[in-house]
Amino acid sequence: MKPSPRSSALAGAVLWVILALPPVRHVLESELTPQVLVQIPLLALAGALLARLFSRRLDTVMRLWNDGGIPGLLLASVAGMTWMLPRLMDASINEEGYALAKFLTVPLLVGVPVALSWPKSGFVTRGVLLLEVVATAFRMGWLYLVSPERLCSNYLLGDQQRLGKLLVAIGVVIALVLAWQLIWGRVRVESPQ
Amino acid sequence: MASLTLYPAEERLEGGSRVTFDLYMITAVTLFVVMMLIGLTMRMTQATWLNVNPALFYRLLSMHGAGMVGTASIATTAVMWFFLRKYVGLHLWAFVANYVLFMLGALCVIVSIFFGGYGALWTFLYPLPVHGMGLWSNNASALFLVGYLLIGVGSLVFYLDAAAAIIKVYGNLGRGLGLQWLFGGEINPDHPKAVVASSMVIIANSLGILAGSVVLVMNLVNIYYPQITLNALFAKNLTYWFGHMYINATIYMGVMAVYELLPRYTGRPYPISRPFIWSWAASCLFVIVVYPHHLMIDFAQPRWLTIMGQVVSWSAGFPVFCVTAYGAMTNIHRSGIRWTMPSRLMALSMFGWAAGIVPAILDGTVRNNLVMHNTQWVPGHFHFYLLLGVLSMVLALIYHVLGNRANAVPNSGLDRTGFFVYLIGGLIFTLAFLSAGHQSVARRMATHLPEWTLTDKVGSVGATLVVLGMLYYAIRIIVGLLGRPVVIDTSHAHPADTAG
Repeated sequence: MKPSPRSSALAGAVLWVILALPPVRHVLESELTPQVLVQIPLLALAGALLARLFSRRLDTVMRLWNDGGIPGLLLASVAGMTWMLPRLMDASINEEGYALAKFLTVPLLVGVPVALSWPKSGFVTRGVLLLEVVATAFRMGWLYLVSPERLCSNYLLGDQQRLGKLLVAIGVVIALVLAWQLIWGRVRVESPQ
Repeated sequence: MASLTLYPAEERLEGGSRVTFDLYMITAVTLFVVMMLIGLTMRMTQATWLNVNPALFYRLLSMHGAGMVGTASIATTAVMWFFLRKYVGLHLWAFVANYVLFMLGALCVIVSIFFGGYGALWTFLYPLPVHGMGLWSNNASALFLVGYLLIGVGSLVFYLDAAAAIIKVYGNLGRGLGLQWLFGGEINPDHPKAVVASSMVIIANSLGILAGSVVLVMNLVNIYYPQITLNALFAKNLTYWFGHMYINATIYMGVMAVYELLPRYTGRPYPISRPFIWSWAASCLFVIVVYPHHLMIDFAQPRWLTIMGQVVSWSAGFPVFCVTAYGAMTNIHRSGIRWTMPSRLMALSMFGWAAGIVPAILDGTVRNNLVMHNTQWVPGHFHFYLLLGVLSMVLALIYHVLGNRANAVPNSGLDRTGFFVYLIGGLIFTLAFLSAGHQSVARRMATHLPEWTLTDKVGSVGATLVVLGMLYYAIRIIVGLLGRPVVIDTSHAHPADTAG
């Protein structure tokens, strides 16, 4: 059964608050891998869940500028790319202003636009985005693996390289799932909403 | 099953479709002429008939390589679009987007080469782009790489639109490829070969483009952050995975013209069969993993990859080629075919493909590769395969369209002369390369030893004939496509009735 928009939004808000709790923050930010692979995706998920509450209201407002979901997904991509920069990830630990920016922009500028734009987007837009996600995982993984020095001054080189391996592995898994789905799976190609 | 009607109504091009198709083909034939002139200049330089300084030579070589691969791709994409749109609902905007992104990418490549001095060849092998040694800047290299990214995104948009359309009709790409009939079941005789080939191209080339997008961006990172150094061997693997698949896809897109048009000119059905489906399924897998044959002389390459490259090289091209060539020959044999320009070009394309892959299989054998790969044997192979194989497929479709618009299958004396000049020139040109390879003449060299120039001179004569033939084709095609179509309904006419 699909949860109601209200309960989804509640779950999103709770998740947001939990992620902001100091002990949770401490655990997730103590190493680079959980910050990149757990904290930031969960913050985006919190935003996506919240978006369900006001998706209908926002939908009317945004119909004019979010044609085919492309502007929304572009916004999410740009915001997401910003939080891939090691310098910003470092700053979000050292300075409260950057931490606040992370906790606001990832849910609101990544999670919300993706949740609002994904249903509007067509097969081609989704395909380009998903392939870009796979390519970015490979590129970032490669970068973390070959960088001779620590990219974040708060984290160790070993942690950075572990993240690199995981990102490459994630890229491989997503690519295989996509390939399997397209070649043998059931794919519904519908006109965007 | 492909229609036996020569000019079926559902193939007629009108409005935006016609403009876009014409734009693709006029751009392609124009670029082919320009790129061939560049090739002729290089061949004459090696023959010492022209004096081009080496710095310019490597720029021309970069332009020729990138330009020919890109042009072959855009022309065969138009072939795929032309036939696939009959069976599934393709969006014109995706076809237009591919063209626009290709042109923007081509502009970046041209500016990087002729204004930025880029000369690290079409393969942009790491770390060559950042070692311009004063001949080109890092910004020029970056612009070249961005151009490739734009071209790749354009192809991807087109493939995704085609994938969506195939999935909408057939459920998934596996069913488009016909995998459900591999081991049994009654094959639907109406399952279009163009859908089988398109599904294969979409699967294989999307993976190649993905690999390309990774290595291109990593090269860009290295250009602006030189402290991030890449593993050159790994980068080379990704580069060739991308490059090999991209150029290989052109023949798999181009061959749709033969599948669709040949039965119309022979008047005989060319039905789909289980061996046909098996061959495309096998080639889909093999073409993805065959690229290590480009790295057999890289001693640090893992041994298993090299062995895989050899084993798969022996088998990758064979399934589809054998089924296609055998199918084409049996379709033609005693069919009473009347030889006109489209049918003649299709037969030539089968010959070009057949003869062109033999040197590749020889070079794909480790022992041979060690002494042959850096010789002109390799350009001998790919020029044979592309010039006489792929380009002939594209020209066959264009001549067919010209026939449709003129309501007469093209077969004038001038056309026949142009074909003959192109064929003889192509054979002289490619055999000169193969002969030079046999004598161990090094490839990618601006300056040749005096002992090497005989094959260069013979090759230059052949190249001149090819350029003349192509120039004729280009003028004929541009005038024909831009001309006003003759409006008479001959949709049921057999070619024998209308050949002029």
